[in-house]
Amino acid sequence: MISQQKKYMIEISQKEIEELRNSVKATSRKVMAENIARMKKTSKNRPKAMEYFDEVADLFGKREKEIQAAKESGKKVIGYMCLFAPTEMILAADAIPVRVNSGWYDTSKLGDRVVPVEVCPVIRSTIGAKMIGLSPYLELSDALISVLTCDGMTKLGEILSDYKPVWAMPIPRVKDLPQSLRFWREGLLTVKGQIEALTGNKITRKKLKSAIEKTQKATKAFRRLQELRKGNPVIMGRDAMLVNQTYMWDDITRWTEKTEALCDELEEKVRRKEWSCSLDAPRVMVTGTPMIWPDNWKLPTLVEEGTPQGVLVADELCSSERLLYDPVGVDEWTMDDMLNAIGERYLMASTCPCFTSKDGNADRINWMLNKIKEWNVQGVIYYVVRGCMSYAMEYTRIKKVLDGINIPVYYLDTEYTREDVGQMKTRVEAFLEMLTARIDI
Amino acid sequence: MITAGVDLGTQSVKVIILKDGAVIGRGKAFSGFDPAKAAEQAMDEALTRANLSLGDLSHVTATGASMALAPKADSTVSMMGADAKAGVFLFPKARTIIDVGAEEARAVRCDDRGVMVEFVVNERCAAGAGAFIEAMARALEVKLEEMGPLSLKAERASPINASCVIFGESDVVTLIHRQESKPEIARAVFDAMADRISSMVHRLGVNPDVVLLGGVAKDAGFVASLKRKLDIDVLIPEFPEFAGALGAALIAASKAERSQK
Repeated sequence: MISQQKKYMIEISQKEIEELRNSVKATSRKVMAENIARMKKTSKNRPKAMEYFDEVADLFGKREKEIQAAKESGKKVIGYMCLFAPTEMILAADAIPVRVNSGWYDTSKLGDRVVPVEVCPVIRSTIGAKMIGLSPYLELSDALISVLTCDGMTKLGEILSDYKPVWAMPIPRVKDLPQSLRFWREGLLTVKGQIEALTGNKITRKKLKSAIEKTQKATKAFRRLQELRKGNPVIMGRDAMLVNQTYMWDDITRWTEKTEALCDELEEKVRRKEWSCSLDAPRVMVTGTPMIWPDNWKLPTLVEEGTPQGVLVADELCSSERLLYDPVGVDEWTMDDMLNAIGERYLMASTCPCFTSKDGNADRINWMLNKIKEWNVQGVIYYVVRGCMSYAMEYTRIKKVLDGINIPVYYLDTEYTREDVGQMKTRVEAFLEMLTARIDI
Repeated sequence: MITAGVDLGTQSVKVIILKDGAVIGRGKAFSGFDPAKAAEQAMDEALTRANLSLGDLSHVTATGASMALAPKADSTVSMMGADAKAGVFLFPKARTIIDVGAEEARAVRCDDRGVMVEFVVNERCAAGAGAFIEAMARALEVKLEEMGPLSLKAERASPINASCVIFGESDVVTLIHRQESKPEIARAVFDAMADRISSMVHRLGVNPDVVLLGGVAKDAGFVASLKRKLDIDVLIPEFPEFAGALGAALIAASKAERSQK
């Protein structure tokens, strides 16, 4: 029998847990409402279809109740931290995938009781959220897939195993060695077995095919939305980010339909030339540490509400555009081929800085160069939270590349806190002003 | 054409009145608890010196940490944008501009028109800025203005930590307990600041003409340390603390010109 002793987590009284949860939840509700109100105010001609996403963005709302009800009818919920968890397999076993990384500032302070403040705040905040049972999706998860990407994520899974079954999935950190894909594929088979054992549902060829088709459709809608951001701004970056991000917990089929409907409306707006902001707003891309709803809306808000105003047209974030950009490409619908396709989609397409290759993280550079060119990006904000080593370290190389093509890049470091907004505003606005001055001339 | 620049800094508000490219009035007041009021005071002083009234100004541009509080500003410009403009106006060949104020140190790289192309700011800590010297002067029980001359008497510097004001102060206390001489400790303070600022400047690349602006540019001790660290001469204007206001007044002039056309 497993010992009841927790390996990492400290003991907190039930009373303190409840008090903290109620107070953080109240703050979070206020933050969510304020963010959405500001997004509505900022965007000219905001699409009506956004209403759905505004609603599903409520972390303590409709979707929580839906998942709760699905669980009561016997469905299993499988949570994951990093993007590499094979969503298709979860769907094929008739379970619900949800991403459980935390974007709550207040819970990072709680995480400080378990790990030192030097640790990345995404990790500390997720630990804190678990301590007080804040995150509905984390709480509802029957098991967690912990892909061993960065150091923080590796240990986070271990810490969360104090509460839930955690399936650690090792991932090769050199992408282009001959054994890497083989090794990763073996891991996929292991996790497939784990999913099947938990759910009692066998992942058959037919079921996996239909799950892959489901995410392929989602990818198509997702790509269509990003394509629409190439031209004059027809949707604000924050709105697009919210759509992208709700994929992490929404019902995938419904999300796909709603995103397609949003794109229909946006195409109509393009025809009518109804833009979301001034065409003079500098076009910005963000890259770096994931920005997770709801508190982590600080930087996008500063950009899109700044003086001068900027517009986010693209990003390279695993919490937004990297979520679904790459489809699972299947040649033949055999089990073998589908597993290969899933393996490749998750490993090879990722631009996460936890990887290296013969040419370092050349995939990330290529992604950025392509985005800059195709989306007509005028400046890049390199966003890093303290303790996020891999992103911090890759900055030097990215900057050299961007200098080479004369694209300004600004390194912005921050924390899971609201207190530094004033200082960040000074920097972000100076950067936007600089981009505007460059465009003027 | 007459324009004004108002720099609402964390410690003081500075105002410059500019007429056809020449400074005709300066005003300064402590920011205190009411920066807007201080801005009015500084503006009154500058206007009195220039023998003008508010109605004579074609355009007022505000800058500085509290720029949003500026009364009667027609536009705003970032501190970095104002530094770049002023630096190139004062020293046409300058392409790297450093500004060390009370709470913040910045370095800006710009083009020949004084348009910034890149900037860095000391990261969320006042250890590279004027407040650090003040805290260290307190620890050494000397007046702020004595720190510079004191440091120049030192033959060598004692090593201290300048990544944080608080840790820096406790390092200074340790040095005092070790009975190191005051001049050496004072120099250590400036060397530590210069270290941080020179690494910021190196990230931008050191161009031959480097300008130092901001109130701390008046401190001979800091200037000596910075020149040693960068191993180049550093250009300093006559009124370095007014540079932000000057840059804003210049930008006000080009905005007024543009709107006349």
